[in-house]
Amino acid sequence: MDVFVMLLVNGLAEGALIFLMAAGLSVILGLMGIVNFSHGTMFLWGGYVSVWMYTKTGSFSLSLLLAMVVGFLMGLIFERFFIRPVYGKVTAQILITLGLMIVFTELVRVLWGPTPLAAVRPPHLAGTWVMGSIIISKYRVFLIVIGIVVALGIHALITRTRIGMIIRAGVQSPEMVQALGIDIRRYFSLVFAGGAALAAVGGALYVPLVGSVWSGMGISNQVLAFIVVVIGGMGSFIGSAVGSIFLGLTGALVAWYFPPAAGVVSVLLMALVLAFRPTGLFGLAVKS
Amino acid sequence: MKTPAVIKLVTAGAKDRKQFVAGSAVALIAAAFLLMLPGFAGHATISLFSRIFILAVFGMSYDILRGFTGVINLGHAVFFGSGTYLAGILFLRLDPTPGTLLLAVIVTVVYCSAAAFIMGKIAFRGGGVIACAMITLALGEIVRHLAETWRDVTMGADGLTFPIPYMFRDRLLFYYYALLFLILMVIVLRRFVLSPTGRVLLAIRENEQRAIFLGYNTTTYKMISLQVGGISAGLSGVMFALLTRFANTELLTIQQTLNALLVTIVGGTGTLYGAIVGTAFVQLIQHYLLTLRDVHPVFTRWLLFFGSIYILVVLYMPAGIVGAYRQLADLLSSRNKKKIA
Repeated sequence: MDVFVMLLVNGLAEGALIFLMAAGLSVILGLMGIVNFSHGTMFLWGGYVSVWMYTKTGSFSLSLLLAMVVGFLMGLIFERFFIRPVYGKVTAQILITLGLMIVFTELVRVLWGPTPLAAVRPPHLAGTWVMGSIIISKYRVFLIVIGIVVALGIHALITRTRIGMIIRAGVQSPEMVQALGIDIRRYFSLVFAGGAALAAVGGALYVPLVGSVWSGMGISNQVLAFIVVVIGGMGSFIGSAVGSIFLGLTGALVAWYFPPAAGVVSVLLMALVLAFRPTGLFGLAVKS
Repeated sequence: MKTPAVIKLVTAGAKDRKQFVAGSAVALIAAAFLLMLPGFAGHATISLFSRIFILAVFGMSYDILRGFTGVINLGHAVFFGSGTYLAGILFLRLDPTPGTLLLAVIVTVVYCSAAAFIMGKIAFRGGGVIACAMITLALGEIVRHLAETWRDVTMGADGLTFPIPYMFRDRLLFYYYALLFLILMVIVLRRFVLSPTGRVLLAIRENEQRAIFLGYNTTTYKMISLQVGGISAGLSGVMFALLTRFANTELLTIQQTLNALLVTIVGGTGTLYGAIVGTAFVQLIQHYLLTLRDVHPVFTRWLLFFGSIYILVVLYMPAGIVGAYRQLADLLSSRNKKKIA
């Protein structure tokens, strides 16, 4: 029982983090038909600027806020200056976002050095709760709560608001939305920057969990987010939520019972899903 | 102004012949220069050029996929890195003899063929360039992860140092082996892209839907392309093992794949020779930038400069160096024709 609860908490916390990245990736893919290969870079930058802010001010909420702002601005700049010139050219989009990934990962190494930096959990979130034989890390519970709040928030945004309505319409037919007199490009920018901000916050939240920040963490987490998007179905928001939880839980289970397979289980899952449902669990047709 | 397709078809023969003559002349001059280079260059330069030859093959193997088939494979480093690792492990476990090298080549070919098969089966299933890119990225990262954790065999992040056969230890001699390797691979790959199969790959790149309508099973052709690209990359990995006598997990990272992507983009995709030009360009500039590290430490982060060049090339010069040269040549020749007319 205690092992079960521990694995559940670990898995859900992991899933919540992956979700923060996968959600943005998935909505961007659904709306704009773009895979953002620089998404992991936002995650990376979120991690670094939050550590920087935390060591400067000692305020965790301030560091999260800074990560969000930096992610949002990077998203805006990337979209405006690099993605917009290559709209509709799938290959060029992949190439250009890869280029941004190279440059901004390298920039991190220039600014903060190539060696990992230590990151600490804020005092009020460090430590554990002990209930009998069950030990639960406070920080992981915090991550789960954040994940749920963000998921519900995005869901409400997409289903209840005017912006969400336009985004949903844009997923189905951007031309039609444009014809109705709505400047869909503004929403493209907004969604892209919003997704980037989410990823950056994900990075800022990830860093205290693992205790350090290093320049390779963007790409390794981006891989997980990609796997989630492929498993969940490209462009499906619900799919990315379910996929994140699924991947988080299986990851935690395998890491506990059969550690050597921990590195490959995500890919095996992806291969299995693709073998039986090539469009993913909640498949949406991807716009090409 | 674009030339109508019919005229292009009619004049193609004459133009091809002219291009062939020009191409042969360039190749001859280049070959003569490279053959004589060791006569006046130092050891460092010879090693740098050996490196360029080997990495150029890696770049060309990528061009088969990216430039000729339109597939973006972000796990391509798996083939290259595995070639280096397999050779290294065999040299370390068995004797570093030419026989072992032959064994390493055979094992690498079989391994890369199997890996390409599995990779293709998974990656081409989701459909589309995007899905393929995402899935191959994930597969590549997993192989890197495995190499890092399987410390008994790969030595993990410390890297693997190994001896090589005696006959390859002389840097000067190895320069000629590497050059020979490049020339052989150029001949083989050129034949491949000019073959009927290669033409179908071009059709897939241009318009996969149409190729399907014409009755081609495009997935099979993509699998063939991945086989050729994968095995060539694996062989260049084996040669790289002979050059560096060292393997680490860097060789399996996405960065290694991106290096191949970078040289093909900078040199010109879909040209095969673009990969050679691109590799030479990137390696020479990288070499130069590293000599500037005493001026400012930022120059050790040469990827910063290359990433920027790469973005600019994708945005403003999508045809790369070779492509730009061809455009320029076309422009000049059409001007000449106008003068004559």
